[in-house]
Amino acid sequence: MTRLLTVENLSKRFGGLQAVVDVSLAVTQGEICSVIGPNGAGKTTLFNMISGVLRPSGGRMTFDGTDLAAVSPSRFAAIGIGRTFQNLALFKHGTVVENILTGRHTHLRSNVLDAVIFFGRTRSEEIAARQRVEHIIEFLEIEHIRDAVVGTLSYGQQKRVELGRALACEPKLLLLDEMVSGMNQEETEDIARFVLDIRDELGITVLMIEHEMRIVMDISDRVHVLNFGRKIAEGTPAEVRRDPAVTEAYLGGHRAEAARVEA
Amino acid sequence: MRTGDFKQTYGELVTLIDSPPIWLWSVVLVAALIVAPHVLNSYALSFLMIILITVVGALGLNILTGYTGLISLGHVGFLVTGAYAYAILVSKYQMHPLIGFLGAGVVPALASLVVGAPSLRLKGLYLAITTLAFSFIINTLILEARWLTNGARGISVQRPEIFGISFDGDAAFTYLCLGFAVLALFATLNIRRSRVGRAFVAIRDNDTAARVMGINLHAYKLFAFVTSAFITGLSGALYGIYLSFVSVEGFPFLLSIEALAILIVGGLGSALGAVLGTILIVLLPEATRMVFSLFSAQMDAMFTTGAQELKSMLYGLVIILFLRFQPRGLVGAWHDIRRMWVNWPLRY
Repeated sequence: MTRLLTVENLSKRFGGLQAVVDVSLAVTQGEICSVIGPNGAGKTTLFNMISGVLRPSGGRMTFDGTDLAAVSPSRFAAIGIGRTFQNLALFKHGTVVENILTGRHTHLRSNVLDAVIFFGRTRSEEIAARQRVEHIIEFLEIEHIRDAVVGTLSYGQQKRVELGRALACEPKLLLLDEMVSGMNQEETEDIARFVLDIRDELGITVLMIEHEMRIVMDISDRVHVLNFGRKIAEGTPAEVRRDPAVTEAYLGGHRAEAARVEA
Repeated sequence: MRTGDFKQTYGELVTLIDSPPIWLWSVVLVAALIVAPHVLNSYALSFLMIILITVVGALGLNILTGYTGLISLGHVGFLVTGAYAYAILVSKYQMHPLIGFLGAGVVPALASLVVGAPSLRLKGLYLAITTLAFSFIINTLILEARWLTNGARGISVQRPEIFGISFDGDAAFTYLCLGFAVLALFATLNIRRSRVGRAFVAIRDNDTAARVMGINLHAYKLFAFVTSAFITGLSGALYGIYLSFVSVEGFPFLLSIEALAILIVGGLGSALGAVLGTILIVLLPEATRMVFSLFSAQMDAMFTTGAQELKSMLYGLVIILFLRFQPRGLVGAWHDIRRMWVNWPLRY
C-alpha cells in the first residue's frame, strides 16, 4: 500500500476567517476516500488547495513523492491531480466532445506553430486524442449527447461531462466535489457505479466530497470528517458512523446525547 | 441508403470540412473570387480588396477577443506597427517584400508582448483601457522616431514584386490579398481545432477550470496576443500597400472600433463570423450612401464630406442593434435559419 497523497497540518486563512485549520489526512493508492462535514466545514477549500486553485497558508502536501508547494498551479494536472467542481465549471459554449478534449491538454504537445499548420504529428495527435475522448464518452454512456453544446444539457448530464473532462486528464488522483448533489436516485446510483468503475477498471484513486450519506457509506473505504475547518474524525464508514463527535457535529450536542441514550 | 451523419475513421472527425456540400460551396466561392478581379470594375474591385484586407485583421482580433475573450481596443496599434514595419523594411531599406511581410508580422508580435505582459492580470474593461493606451503610445512613438519613420510625413509604399510576379495591377494585388486572407482563415481554423485553440476558448469560458486542466494561463494569454498581433500586422502591411502611403493618419482609432464591430456583428469567437461581419461592415457605409443618394444629391454630398463621422455613427448603431436583437451575430442568425429550415414545419 503506497501513500498517494499526504496532507500535513494544512491551513487556510481568508483574512480573519480560518477556513481550514491543521488538517492532516492521507490517501492510499487505490482507495475511495470521502470527506464529509456540515456546510462551511472547509471541504471545498481543502479541495481547492489540493488541486492548486488556492495556495495553503500553512502546512505541507505531498503527492506521489512530490512536494506540492514547489509545483506551479498549472502543473497540478500534469503530475496527476484531476478534479470536478461543486458548481459546474464547464466551457459552456463548447460541445461535449470539445470539453472532454480540453481535458487532454497536458497529454498533447503541439504548440502554436504546429497548430497553424495542423499536419503530420499534430494531426495524428489530435486523432489519437479524439479516439481517447470517444472511449471516455462510451465509458460514461453519453454517446447520444456527444455533439451537444454543454450549456443546453441538463444538470445531471453536465456533471457527467465534467467527470469525463477530469478523466481525460488521466489523473492518478481524482477529486470529486459533490458529484451527486441535486441528482435523483437513478442518477446517483449511476454515479456511484462510475466511481467504483473508475477505481476498479481505470485504477484511479478517488477522493470525494459528498453530502449524500448513502453513497459515502456504500462505496468509501475511508471517511474523513471536517467541522469548522478542523478534522474531527477519520475511519471506515462504520467507525465514523459510531463516532460521537460526528453525531454531535451533524445533529448538535443535545441530540447526540439523546441518540446515545437511545442506543 | 446512408442517412444522417456517419464517420468511418477518427481522422474524419478532425477534418476541417466534413460535408460534401460545404466543400462544393467553398470551391465555388474560391473560383468566384479568382474570376472576380477580371469581371468587376475598379470601383467594385477596391471594395473586394478592402474586404480581403479587413478579413485578415478581423481574424487576427478574433483570436484575441473572440477566442480568448481578451477585449482589445488597441487593435489599430498592431495594424499601424505592421504597416510601418513593412514600409520601413521595404521602402526605406529596400528589403525583399517577403522579408517585409515577415517583419510586418514579427514586429507587432513583439510589441504585443510589451502590452500583453502587463495585461496578464487585467480583465475586461481594465484590459481594454490598457490596450487603448498602447495604441496611442505607439502613435506617439512613431511620430517622435523621425529618423526611422519620417514622423508625420509618412512613408510611401510601392506595390510589391515577389519572385518576378508584379502585384502592381489591381487584379494582381487582389490576388495577393486573397492569398493572405485564405492563409489567415486556414491558420485561424487550424488553431481553433487544435489544443491551442481549445486552451484559448477554455480561458475565455472559465479560467479556473482551464488552469485545473493544466493550461498555463499566462503563457496562453501571451500566445493569443502574439498570434493575434502577427496576423493583424500582416493586415496592416496590406492596408499600407493598398493606400500606397503609410502614415499615422491612415490608421485612425476608428479602425479599432470597426474591428470590434465586425466581430460583434459577425458573432464573437467564430472565423466565419469574422468574414461575414467584415463584408457587412465594409459595405455598410457605401450601401447607406447609395440608399440616401436615391433621395437627393445633397445627401450624397453630405456622405462624401462627413464620411468618417457618419461611419462612426453607423458602427455605433449597428453594434447596439446587434447586441440588442442578435447578440450571437450573423453566424447565430445563420444557425437559426438553418435549424428552421431543417425542422420545418415542426417547431422543434
